[in-house]
Amino acid sequence: MNNIKEITKEVKETADRFPRHEERILKGNYAASEAAKLCRVGFIPAYPITPQTTIVEDLSDKVGKGELDAEYVNMDSEHSVFAAAMGAALTGERVFTATAGQGLFYAHEVLHAIAHYRLPMVVCNVGRPSIPWNIWSDQTDSLAQRDTGWVQFYGESSQEVLDSVIQAYIIAERLELPVFVVLDAFYQSHTSENVWVPEQSLVDEFLPPKDRRNYEIDVEHPKAVGGLVQPEHYGKFNFKYWEALQKVEDLTNEIGKEFGEHFGREYQAVEAVNIGPETKTVLVTISSITTTARGVIRNHSDVGLLKLRLFHPFPKKSVLKAVESLSDDVAFVAVERNFMGDKSGAIKQELERAFYGERTNPIYDVYTGHGGKDVPPRTIEKIIYRIKNNPKEFTWIDIE
Amino acid sequence: MLEIRGHARGGQGMVTAFEILAKIFSKLGDYHVQSFPAFGVERTGAPIQAFLRVAKGEIYNRSNVYNPHLIVVFDESLLEQVPVFDGLRESGSVLLNTERSLENFKDKAESVFTVPATKISLEKGLGSKSLPIVNAAMIGAIIKLIDADIDIAKAVVAANVPVKPEANAEASEIAYNSIIGLGESELKLHEFLNTTKIEENPVDEDFLKSVGEPEIDKFSEPYWSQPMSLNKTGNWRVLTPEYTTKLAPCSSNCPAGTDVREFIKLSGEGKFEDAVEIIYKHNPFPAVCGRVCPHFCEQACNRNELDDGVNIGAVERFLGDRFRNTLPEKTPIRYEEKIGVIGGGPAGLTAALQLRRRGYDVTVFEAAPQAGGMMRTGIPKFRLPDVVLDEEIERIRREGVKIVTDKKMKISDLEDEFAAAIVAVGSHIGSKMHVENEDQIIDGIDFLYDFKLKGDKYGIEKGDEIAIIGGGNTAIDVARTALRLGAVPTIYYRRTSNEMPAIAHEVDEAIAEGVKIEFLTAPVGVTGSDKNFTVTMTKMELGEPDESGRRRPMPVQGSEYEIKANKVIAAIGQRFDEFVFDGNKVEPAQGKMNLDSKIPVFCAGDMAWGGTVTEAIGSGNKVSDEVHAYFRSLPYSHEENHPNVVMPVDINFTYYMPTPRINNIVKYDIDLYDNFDEVVEGLKEEEIVKETSRCMHCGECFSCGNCYNYCPDAAIHIDDGGRLRIDYDYCKGCGICVQECPCSAMTFNLKEVVYE
Repeated sequence: MNNIKEITKEVKETADRFPRHEERILKGNYAASEAAKLCRVGFIPAYPITPQTTIVEDLSDKVGKGELDAEYVNMDSEHSVFAAAMGAALTGERVFTATAGQGLFYAHEVLHAIAHYRLPMVVCNVGRPSIPWNIWSDQTDSLAQRDTGWVQFYGESSQEVLDSVIQAYIIAERLELPVFVVLDAFYQSHTSENVWVPEQSLVDEFLPPKDRRNYEIDVEHPKAVGGLVQPEHYGKFNFKYWEALQKVEDLTNEIGKEFGEHFGREYQAVEAVNIGPETKTVLVTISSITTTARGVIRNHSDVGLLKLRLFHPFPKKSVLKAVESLSDDVAFVAVERNFMGDKSGAIKQELERAFYGERTNPIYDVYTGHGGKDVPPRTIEKIIYRIKNNPKEFTWIDIE
Repeated sequence: MLEIRGHARGGQGMVTAFEILAKIFSKLGDYHVQSFPAFGVERTGAPIQAFLRVAKGEIYNRSNVYNPHLIVVFDESLLEQVPVFDGLRESGSVLLNTERSLENFKDKAESVFTVPATKISLEKGLGSKSLPIVNAAMIGAIIKLIDADIDIAKAVVAANVPVKPEANAEASEIAYNSIIGLGESELKLHEFLNTTKIEENPVDEDFLKSVGEPEIDKFSEPYWSQPMSLNKTGNWRVLTPEYTTKLAPCSSNCPAGTDVREFIKLSGEGKFEDAVEIIYKHNPFPAVCGRVCPHFCEQACNRNELDDGVNIGAVERFLGDRFRNTLPEKTPIRYEEKIGVIGGGPAGLTAALQLRRRGYDVTVFEAAPQAGGMMRTGIPKFRLPDVVLDEEIERIRREGVKIVTDKKMKISDLEDEFAAAIVAVGSHIGSKMHVENEDQIIDGIDFLYDFKLKGDKYGIEKGDEIAIIGGGNTAIDVARTALRLGAVPTIYYRRTSNEMPAIAHEVDEAIAEGVKIEFLTAPVGVTGSDKNFTVTMTKMELGEPDESGRRRPMPVQGSEYEIKANKVIAAIGQRFDEFVFDGNKVEPAQGKMNLDSKIPVFCAGDMAWGGTVTEAIGSGNKVSDEVHAYFRSLPYSHEENHPNVVMPVDINFTYYMPTPRINNIVKYDIDLYDNFDEVVEGLKEEEIVKETSRCMHCGECFSCGNCYNYCPDAAIHIDDGGRLRIDYDYCKGCGICVQECPCSAMTFNLKEVVYE
């Protein structure tokens, strides 16, 4: 039997897994702030809110210590944070901030403005619900911002947070769109785990400095922006915006592949696990529940898993492609840690839209884990059992 | 995969400890780690959990640890509050921070280990007694349990603690070497740590079937209607507030032992009968004491710091007057022992009454024609009308005390008939001044006795100049009596008004009536006779304080002068009459006396200590307890101990409105000649109720509701009995209630309160 004392003398196998990386133990929030630093962000407006606070706290520390050359501004509210982010982005700065729950809701008006001004930036949201008052994990806050037009990525580990922020800047700046990288409260934000942090030079080679488009606002060349747009022109803006959104899915896959070649960790818009000829049921998940589901389905050869990494715009092509081998009687189970004020959860809504005219599979909605309620393997087992034995279109789990 | 679950209190550093452990494991080998707290909003003191997973490959679980291989308890006190051992795997281990022996925890798990992490941490200066920071020590112990390299652990600890890296690393190492109960654990923990086998999830079908869909009935109310009740935060508490009734200074300072605060409260509620019963328990003379007691209670009243003490005397007098002609119940005689009491003053009568109430046959022998002692013979009628004293003594008689008057007795007279004697003859012999020609000087005590009981004026006539020597109540009473005989009294006192032992308001009344007082003067000699005296006086000055704490008067050399007077009356002190002891020299003291007598002899009253009616009553109460204890072989101790008396510093005066005291009306008739009417009037019922509302209820909850209003957790409620109560399920122990309690009726301490 191996003795740990002997193990410590072994050369760690992982040392060579990711060259030009340092293995660290980081919480998700620190992976986010580390990523912002590696992306050499130039402007950080900040306002604290649990469970996001340690992201902006750590960035404040980094700026204060001179590790990051950025303008850091303490604002008076989240509305002001996003207004400042918008202003800084208009000047062409690379902007980063983080928020959560009520803060995000409060900033809602400015989210539209940032998106429709086509201002690239990356913002981490650490999901929590609204009322009844709660600070725990829930994706309702960010999913409710779906129609502001921000691109939304959800990840399942601290590593993915760090890697997604880097990729998000490329996508944001190339398509001139703002991007949310969403973390689960606590299950990611406050969970310490192994993170391979790339060297700065490795990131610099991948993410170029923010380029200038020559229409940024500039004190040397004053001009007015934000004026009234007449009816005959307004649709043009939306059309251009729509056109950019159509490119997000492909670009996500493209950048994810390039990222894999450069850093050794590949990402796609969606990830299919254990989907094949035996598959009878597919769990569709976002965020940290995915990890637990991965573990559970190892004991269920007929259960597959579809992880949605890009949620908005919804990666319809990637989803259809991932499940193209499956027959139309395979059950899809949308695992919803969200409540959209509607009959269906966000995942079921999007799946139905994606499948319309394409597939006729039954889609079951399971509400679970709301307000941070723990979703352990036993709960996933229950979901699988329910769908296999007594499926209902809508099931609320563990509400007793 | 190895799963560890930790239990601690917020602030002890467990979450940091688990993060450091994750870092240690990542240095120990090719491990995937995952550490996180059971995310909450808990703060210092709250029970919290932290989890750690370590695996050789990917960790496919992002949920809490329900079935740990190792349970680690950072704080022993949690064992009583939190089900820490829940879900431990069959072959799992437990590590406890405790100094108790393993025996106490044998039944908790197959392998239990202890480490004195608190002791180690405090020795290393990490944290405080109420909240030791035990994380480094616990890390060391865990490292020992998995037989890992302590040097790597120490290095990681030192690099990751916010302060005192060396002390923390040392604590880890000491704990590593201090673990008790080492057994098979390390082997098992290794196995879990290094297996890459996929664990099956053995979930039974019944569990899977119970989807846990909402039970609609339980959700009939919206969540916000009972928002606090779902979140029981009481176990965050380290310090516990508690309603505590403490002694009020009025009660603790009453020599008779009366629960003053209680009778004031009951009077305020109009429950006068209940109120007077509270007094009667200790004092059969409320109508007398309401008039003549110096009211130690009022002097000690915390309200003096705000405006003026509560007029407790007026309340006592009101209650005594209202009930003094009521007829009390008689207790049956239960005991054989007959008790004889020599002296029918306040001490003797009180002792007799208390023993009679207990069931003894008691007889009081009084030398004077009427019982009452100094109340009868020394206190003039204008201060204490006869009817008041007569009726209160009659109540004592009605309760079964036999009173024999005109019977001057010695101890030896009681030996045949009685099982014990109580001697309480008071102090009725005036002290001598030891000046020339002293036999020409009238004794003040004799004068008061003879005038009150026999109408003997000692030849004092209208217009006589009377020189009275002394500064106590006797001097004042003599002067005021002389005034009413038409004389012109002057009191000569060797100190100043500050040192006068007489009751202050009596002095004020005497001056208002026309009594003159000369201070800092003392007689040296007296010449003359009949109604023609010359007294040689000397001026005095105050020197160093004497044994009484008052500054000692010293004669001023060459300052002698003469005064003329028709009568000279001395009232410079009294002593007891030795007749009771057959003239033997005895030093009387409270309680059982060491005498060569056939029956046990107990002593009480002025001859033992004190000098006021109320002190004599208290002395009588004490001696009755001692006699009873003597015959019934019960433990008895003189010791009086008043811990926890509420002092002004304990009172939140801002919560009380200054309110003027309702004083008794004092009548000053223009012509006092032959006027022995009572000088001081009592208060009316409505005035009594109003005056009692000034009581600040020191040390006793009066349901003001401050705690209820201030509690930030809404953890205080009013129970069915209308009492304020703390719901310890929700009290986090912030202490605001204790801080804001106006009257110090709460305490805040480390012990847990047991539910009622």
